[in-house]
Amino acid sequence: MRSVNLLLIIQLAAAATILRVLFIILISILTGWLLAYASIRSSIFESIYIPVISSLESVPVITFFPVVLVIFVTRIGGPVGTELASDFLVFTAVVWNIWIAQYQAFKTVPKELYEVTINHELGFFSRMRHLYVPFSMPKIAANLFPSFADALFYITVSEVFSIGTKSFSVFGIGSLITRLVSLGNMYYVWVAMLTLAVWVALLTFVFRYIARITVAKYGLDTSAPIRRRGKINIMHTYQAWNTLTGPMKRLSKHFTSTFRVLPTRGNFGRRWNALSSSKRYIMAGVAAFILIILITEIALFVSSLPLNYWGYLVSYTPAIFYGMALDYVRVAIIALISLVIAVFVGYYLAVHQRAAVTAFPAIQIITAFPAPVYFPLLFAATFGYMYAVFPMSSEIYVLFLGFVSTFYYVFYSFWMGVQTIPSEFWEIMENHELRFFTRMRRIILPATFPYLIAGLSSTIDSAWGGLMIGEYWPEIIDGKTLEVNVGLMKMLDIFTYQGKIGLAAWASLLFAIVVTVFSILFTKKLMTMAREKYVIEEGVYAA
Amino acid sequence: MNAVDISYIFPSGKEVFTGINISTGENEFVSIVGPSGIGKSTLLRTLGYLIPPTTGRVFLMGEEIKKPSSKISLIHQSIATFPWMTAMDNVKLALFGKGLSQAEMNDIAAKTLETVGLKGAEGLYPKEMSGGMRQRVAIARALAGSPIVLLMDEPFVHLDELTAEGLRQEIYDILFNPSTTLKSVVLVSHNLDEVLELSDRVLIMNGSPAKIVDELIIEMPRPRSSRDSRFSIYLDKIYSSLTPVR
Repeated sequence: MRSVNLLLIIQLAAAATILRVLFIILISILTGWLLAYASIRSSIFESIYIPVISSLESVPVITFFPVVLVIFVTRIGGPVGTELASDFLVFTAVVWNIWIAQYQAFKTVPKELYEVTINHELGFFSRMRHLYVPFSMPKIAANLFPSFADALFYITVSEVFSIGTKSFSVFGIGSLITRLVSLGNMYYVWVAMLTLAVWVALLTFVFRYIARITVAKYGLDTSAPIRRRGKINIMHTYQAWNTLTGPMKRLSKHFTSTFRVLPTRGNFGRRWNALSSSKRYIMAGVAAFILIILITEIALFVSSLPLNYWGYLVSYTPAIFYGMALDYVRVAIIALISLVIAVFVGYYLAVHQRAAVTAFPAIQIITAFPAPVYFPLLFAATFGYMYAVFPMSSEIYVLFLGFVSTFYYVFYSFWMGVQTIPSEFWEIMENHELRFFTRMRRIILPATFPYLIAGLSSTIDSAWGGLMIGEYWPEIIDGKTLEVNVGLMKMLDIFTYQGKIGLAAWASLLFAIVVTVFSILFTKKLMTMAREKYVIEEGVYAA
Repeated sequence: MNAVDISYIFPSGKEVFTGINISTGENEFVSIVGPSGIGKSTLLRTLGYLIPPTTGRVFLMGEEIKKPSSKISLIHQSIATFPWMTAMDNVKLALFGKGLSQAEMNDIAAKTLETVGLKGAEGLYPKEMSGGMRQRVAIARALAGSPIVLLMDEPFVHLDELTAEGLRQEIYDILFNPSTTLKSVVLVSHNLDEVLELSDRVLIMNGSPAKIVDELIIEMPRPRSSRDSRFSIYLDKIYSSLTPVR
């Protein structure tokens, strides 16, 4: 390729990727508004919608991979199928948090404002335009950056993937970089990375700006709960708070708003009884119809598989669980390292405002720059030394990938928790001359406990993405393959690579079940405990 | 405590107050009053070095204060108790790092809670207490740190009137109880009845940047009543110094 043409192609590829991500974010926002409205209007819809998106959000993006391959690549096929597969993977990376944020915003519209729209008999479009959509803007703005960052993390996976010997790709910076690396054209790899870095920096500032102006315009004053003074004067307003804490994808669902919530529409049973009998019959009929179709589809699918195929899947199950257990150990290590760094760095930045002002935009840009793009270069520069010194270097590389893909969730979460500690408590700590570890143990860590749990939960959920990419990376550079000995993510990679989609889907299903059970038994219980006992805002009594 | 020529300028450049001199003596209750937003709470915090003054110095028992210290303890307007700690643990917070054993800390905390009238409530969490009880816990925590000066920033404003009145009646005896180390109290309040009921001396702030424009010595026997004829005379004097708001 001629150099001028290649430069142009790099620019176009970067623009294609960015536009793809932004377009999918836009689709997510538009659909989210409708779904959020439906869920506040119908408790039946709400009682299905919220558990489903909450569960799907806790399922790592990679578990959608086999489904994508089967539906879009095999059934639709062609360039359209490949493009849709790529879009769907990006969609699963960005959508859940935006939808949850919109639902939360709609659900917490102040009662007084809602009553004004009732009073003036506003219809659906007017109510959406003048109340719900504006009110949801700050929460959406706060989720733009992290959704964008998450989507970029998966571009190398979503823009180019293989099934068996067949490779599929869509035009974009991820697929282009992969191709340039395979051609050994390192100069243009650097150019492509630089181009992407410029885009990331530019969009980070655009998102920060959007967050600032939307909060300034659409935020309610009543939500500015914390004042800070003197040395610990960190953030004065909800505006600044929201702008800097934007990268809280997946975290917002864990926190309830300080706004008064709309009057409850009653429980399902009461609402059901309030319906006319004809409506009840119609709704029951629709529900029964959907249920029958679902059961039939599942039954047909299961019966279509020969019995020995089930035996084949089951025979792999112990190995799958063993790989999963090892991956949980890796995730635990990543979470622990992230936690320790988050607590110390987060605390330092929380009490040193000047450092925070410069550090945060830098951290946002660095975390948004997708690790899978620069990692091969890092690997190429270090693997000779690393493998000579540390025999377990593959594990170190994988843990590093997991760490950079996920560290910022717990970091931002902890930092946000520190922000919510009321100024009165900071003054008490200073007044009584509490030492660092006493502060940490008695006040800071308990006060930020709900935030730590939320951050850790997101960190754990996201670490899988890093493992998925790192545990098995054939031809990462110069014919070298990065791989661990055993790991579920490696298995998924290899099953997919070998075209064993059924096995990959089986492993994904088992994994999704374990993740969901883990979320219900561990994360949600801890979060409930944190909400009941460790709510720092309740410590300030102001009648 | 002796504060000499204190001033404070906001980072925005606005000078809040200037040339403030305040001294407090033994067993003296001093109040600061002034229009809203004039900088009373900020002044209170500069006295405790929770906000370093832009200029001026604060001395305690002849020694200059250069960092926050539990010897000058602050009670907040919003009642601040840690929700995950019992009343006892909230009070013990002031005792960490003082080289005391657990038993000694428990003993001091229990005695301090008893002083503020919370005997029997040691194991309660803040959410199990009324606003008045929570403020007593906050006062006990401040007292447990063996303060010499207590700074009170509208401590009764978030309590209902009956509770506030009850606590006001008790507070003087609680604070200047022989079992406490307290020498003096500086109160900031908008409630002039409260100020007259409690204070030995009232400092009136006004102007922009604010200064101490007047000082009143309150000479009424305790317990004081608003029905006392001198009460309304003092009240009129304070009003005349506060108006017009400058």
